[in-house]
Amino acid sequence: MTHAIEMRGVHHRLGKTFEIRDLTVNVPSGSIYGFLGPNGSGKTTTIRLMLGLLRRGKGSIQVLGRPIPADAARVLARTGYVPERPHLYDSFSIGEAIKYHGAFFRTWDARRAEELRVRFRLDAAGRIGRLSKGETGKLMMLLVLAQSPDLLVLDEPTDGLDPVVRRDVLTAVLDYVSQRDATVFISSHLVHELERICDWVGVMDDGRLVAEMPMQTFKSGIKRLRVADAPSLVSDTPFVLLAREPGDGLSGGEVWVVRGWQDPMKQYFQGVGARLREVVDLDLEEGFVELLRTFRTPGA
Amino acid sequence: MFDQIDPRSPTPLYDQIADRIRVAVAAGELRPGDPLPSVRRLAGRLRVNPATVVQAYRALEAEGFVEMRQGSGTFVLDIGVNRRDAERHDQARDLVRDVLADAARLGLSGEDVLRALRLEIGTEAG
Repeated sequence: MTHAIEMRGVHHRLGKTFEIRDLTVNVPSGSIYGFLGPNGSGKTTTIRLMLGLLRRGKGSIQVLGRPIPADAARVLARTGYVPERPHLYDSFSIGEAIKYHGAFFRTWDARRAEELRVRFRLDAAGRIGRLSKGETGKLMMLLVLAQSPDLLVLDEPTDGLDPVVRRDVLTAVLDYVSQRDATVFISSHLVHELERICDWVGVMDDGRLVAEMPMQTFKSGIKRLRVADAPSLVSDTPFVLLAREPGDGLSGGEVWVVRGWQDPMKQYFQGVGARLREVVDLDLEEGFVELLRTFRTPGA
Repeated sequence: MFDQIDPRSPTPLYDQIADRIRVAVAAGELRPGDPLPSVRRLAGRLRVNPATVVQAYRALEAEGFVEMRQGSGTFVLDIGVNRRDAERHDQARDLVRDVLADAARLGLSGEDVLRALRLEIGTEAG
């Protein structure tokens, strides 16, 4: 499998209290990769590092097969980047902003820009300074899609947008990738949004990548188990035991949160004299919350 | 036809999409020769990854439900009346398995469920 983005052992210190530590990220080419993490976990810093906008300490970074930061200019020419805060000139009209942005890219597709402008119902004469948040979000997406990029890097592209605009913007991204091979790296804390569209997921917490796997593996692998008569000491579990807690008191027993679950592992419980009462499926949001919770309280 | 797609379900999205089409074919809702929506259109409508739609269509093709014709789209094949019946049977079985699994969680036996089912259908007086 080739990777559109490869970060190996990257370190970066930001101020006195926050650092990216030994960060390794692999984004498969052609995937839609959801980058999850709470606010302040280092998502934006990671994005800035991978695009050469911040200088890494140790480690190596390759994007679209080229080293960062050495070849950052060439990589950025093929990358559509929507930053957390848009960088647009307030005094421009929408039409002017489109022309101005297009002048920087050899791969600029003026026809797609016009199609999207009409579809997003953006008035070419409208002033940037007077746009609503939703219109600004749509304009940013228009600008990067018209670049005909091989890689889209979207940093919270739908943050603060209403549901209708969110839908328009994401549909435009999906429409783009269904027409050509491109990799999408999208960071968000809106987990449900990613659950629909992503086929890979990476989870950041406190400057570390705590999980990276195909979406389906993530979703099907993390379970909550209701267990009765469990021995106080367990070892050699075929799954990763993330947490072990008392049950709700009504049904007694314990609740285990596990990772890497597969159905045949049910047999493990008979072997240790316990009973597995129920396997509860978690959706992406619950799985994400459980994963972070258990990572933050080691040994819980 | 795709209203029940649920991204939060543990069943993979591609499988849910394929399943909706299997049901539609078995029920005669989709007929041989009918076109399926293009990958681009369906991905846009369901707001899912286009690769997920492709995966669903490939699975259906491997099972003989549809044919993907290069450049012109994906079309429903004639699976024959026997296979259609078998599909309907499988779908009913899956439904029952789901109900029984839910019943077990509630501590209900198969007999309890069967009795309730008969009552609902009206073959047994309450």
